[in-house]
Amino acid sequence: MADPAQPLLRVDSLTVDYATGRGAVRALDDVSLAIPRGQALGLVGESGSGKSTVVLALLGLLGAARVTATALDFDGHDLLRDPASVRGRRIGVVFQDPASVLNPSLPVGLQIAEPLLVHRRLRHADAFARATALLAETGIADAARVMRAYPHQLSGGMKQRAVIATALAAEPDLLLLDEPTTALDVTVEAQILDLLESIRARRGLTMLLVSHNLGVVDRICDRTTVLYAGRTVEAAPTPALLHAPRHPYTKGLLGALPVPGSRARLVPMAGNLPDLTQRDPGCTFRPRCPLAEEACALPQALTATAGHLVRCHRADETHDLRWPVPEASDDAAPPPPPRHGPPPPRHGPRRRTIHAFLSRANERPGSSASAEDDEGSTPTDTPLIAATNLRRTFRSGGPLARVLGREHVVHAVDDVSIAIARGEILGLVGESGSGKSTLGRLLLRLLGADAGGVRFDGIDVPAVPPRAFRRRAQIVFQNPDTTLNPRQTVEAILRRPLHHFAITPDPEREIDRLLDLVRLPRGYRGRYPHQLSGGEKQRVSIARALASAPDFVVADEAVSALDVSVQAAVLNLFADLRARLGVAYLFISHDIGVIAHIADRIAVMYRGALVEQGATPDVLHPPYHPYTEALLSAVPIVGARDRHASRVRLTGDATTTPGPGCRFAPRCPRRLGPLCDTVPPPWQRPAEGHAIACHIPLAELASARPVLAS
Amino acid sequence: MSATLAAHHRPPRLLALGAIVVAGFILVAIVGAFVTPYDPTHFAVRLRFDPPSFAHPFGTDEFGRDVFSRALAGARYSLAMGFGATAISLVLGVPLGLLAAFHRGAVDAAIMRGVDLLISLPPILLGLLILAVTPPSLWKTILAVGIIYVPILTRLTRAVALGLLEEDFVQAARARGEGAVSILSREILPNAWPPIIVESGLRVTFAILLGSSLSFLGLGPQPPSSEWGLMIAESRGFIDEAPWIGLAPGLCLCALLIAVNLFGEGLREALDPRLRGRDG
Repeated sequence: MADPAQPLLRVDSLTVDYATGRGAVRALDDVSLAIPRGQALGLVGESGSGKSTVVLALLGLLGAARVTATALDFDGHDLLRDPASVRGRRIGVVFQDPASVLNPSLPVGLQIAEPLLVHRRLRHADAFARATALLAETGIADAARVMRAYPHQLSGGMKQRAVIATALAAEPDLLLLDEPTTALDVTVEAQILDLLESIRARRGLTMLLVSHNLGVVDRICDRTTVLYAGRTVEAAPTPALLHAPRHPYTKGLLGALPVPGSRARLVPMAGNLPDLTQRDPGCTFRPRCPLAEEACALPQALTATAGHLVRCHRADETHDLRWPVPEASDDAAPPPPPRHGPPPPRHGPRRRTIHAFLSRANERPGSSASAEDDEGSTPTDTPLIAATNLRRTFRSGGPLARVLGREHVVHAVDDVSIAIARGEILGLVGESGSGKSTLGRLLLRLLGADAGGVRFDGIDVPAVPPRAFRRRAQIVFQNPDTTLNPRQTVEAILRRPLHHFAITPDPEREIDRLLDLVRLPRGYRGRYPHQLSGGEKQRVSIARALASAPDFVVADEAVSALDVSVQAAVLNLFADLRARLGVAYLFISHDIGVIAHIADRIAVMYRGALVEQGATPDVLHPPYHPYTEALLSAVPIVGARDRHASRVRLTGDATTTPGPGCRFAPRCPRRLGPLCDTVPPPWQRPAEGHAIACHIPLAELASARPVLAS
Repeated sequence: MSATLAAHHRPPRLLALGAIVVAGFILVAIVGAFVTPYDPTHFAVRLRFDPPSFAHPFGTDEFGRDVFSRALAGARYSLAMGFGATAISLVLGVPLGLLAAFHRGAVDAAIMRGVDLLISLPPILLGLLILAVTPPSLWKTILAVGIIYVPILTRLTRAVALGLLEEDFVQAARARGEGAVSILSREILPNAWPPIIVESGLRVTFAILLGSSLSFLGLGPQPPSSEWGLMIAESRGFIDEAPWIGLAPGLCLCALLIAVNLFGEGLREALDPRLRGRDG
């Protein structure tokens, strides 16, 4: 049975059909995979590509769907016929959201011990001893205490470690990981990825890792399979796939990815996933493919050259073609990010490429950028918006808790001063819970501040701001599904701010103009939000914010919920709107890759306070704050496998309680000693406009190994 | 996923059945006075306590009045109490709930403590309190029942609105500096309707029942009107010799309650798939 030459898991021609109200949907179409023992296979694709369906099919958890395959073989065991007898024993699973995987009403220890009690029939005490050892193996220091804890008492990273311990409890041979780090902060994600690597090395585990994040797959997987609309489009050893992608879709995914340190214009993919109720024998990517030709409507075979499978008949002729970058002149060498003030308007007609969809993506409606805010172009001028010593505390518990001293106080924003010039993009980055969103809402006076003031255009903004401020300062939210009123049409959504602020005597034309501005068809006026895709909803949301012609927009994780290809288009849109309209942004994101791509300046926030602030190139290279270094080091970057030497890892997470000194000290890998714990760090200024709050001498910070290649 | 889809595409039979029966009662209530076989208030002393027959399908009562005719004529009282009282609780309860959710703080506390006070009293007792002071009438019963159910709609509306107020599109409206009226009417109310409508559908049932109970206690329409609760109350004395007098209004009440309930449940299924999921 254990023939080492045989792959541990072999999937041949897996096909899954769902019945839906609109007809049968083929979620997976003839997908084949094989994972040799001890290897890790990555499965990537955008949402809706069928990645998770593969995992559920392997576990036999697809319910009413029709699953067929010529082989679904796990070490000689037929998973098609009898998945239940190996599920949870020899195949362990880790799902995306640890918060919903763990039962909130049972202690964590019991949940880890459960597979031992059920599958391995251990005695109670033995099972608990084993579970404690497993928790310790996943890197939890006080495993005995965590065993007794309930899920809500643990942080996200701890919960995911507990889930991994649960999956490992029955000593599985195969571990299925469905987006195991997507719900976690980057620093925690890096810890979990390290953990998965070490577990795999120690136990000789075989892994199937499903992820939308190419960087994560690059960290862990030997081979990677790319799914598109339920079909394998490319499969190859991971380095080959990421460095020499052959399918246009893979090329597109990579081209759309913002890379920290590079500000080259992203190349989004137009269009959406095809409608899976319409069976299409040809290449399903062809409506979005810049290289499509007539022959693409024919069925495409999955052909192999030296272990590199690709489903595209043009793969050989387009081998050397990178994902077409539209303008070598303009985009390959972007203008250096301006330190202050708006960037110079980009003039000159954009050269149209043969690729219709690319030119569509890059079309600029008019090239005359507004220069109405010339007065803001010198750094000494008043900034557009400036906040001084903002504070905001959240308290939980009622008056009784306050009296009893049981009140829970969170200093979400603690003495933060920040300024944004006209037309400037300030990127605000930090882990979840760092107070980024609170700061954004304080700036807009959507939340009342406990202390501190906001000045807009040199004038104090009162707690209840006048209408003029509301018109000039707007916000775009993270979640495309909640940002639009589901009962209003696009037209009604856009008409409201026009009417409210009495922007124009001709709202009809203005609505058309706004739709043009965010590159949505004018025919979308009558649509309701549920008839739009995530990226389209986000565009409407941007149009709504721009309707009042604001000078300042807070973009609160505005691209975080979008797929890479869509994210690229929306990021480009933000950049273009800045260039055309001179809008200043506070661009909030947990993804330093996105921030590095779009921002002129970056502010790094940790537990309610800024720890570093400066021009983007300054912040991305030493000297930087140890926290910035850790954030950069934690981001899984595609093609950066050789980066391992300079990996800086944080222990714990952002809930670690700080002392009176530097709030980052408890987690800081470069902590000097008691000084850091007791004395608040001074602001050190290595360059103009660059400030680092740290006790470590600048020279030492400057000697840090750069995380990004310069 | 597939189960949800299947349920979604199943024809809403409950809704249809409930709607047909309720529509029948409404029709009867409107044209009832003209099509009843006999005048519901006509005394025929010689025909007292006539058992059910072809001439009198549900017999006659102690004054020889045709029970069937009286029951048909009584439909309008129950319907008026059910829908009228629900309308009153909607008109009062929904705005209170919206205001409480929007303003939080002192306004919220004042409204919700008032509502708590109302809800802490048993409905019948509260009805007695409201109605016993002055001479009873149909309109006062409707008002009393409506007020009794205000707290339930206030609480529901407040809960739904509190959730919606956290949504980003409401934040966007706040970022435009929209006022309370505009946010509540444009952003909150259109999204809060489905659960409120569903609750109102079920509220009608309880209102009919409570209205009839109050009438039974003599706190509703007065004789000789043929409100069903009142008819049942009047028939109590003759339950041994003429049980049919109470049977007709009892059956009518039953049929109407079941129909309204089916209609309400059907609405719940049709309008609020999320509720269905939560109920399991």
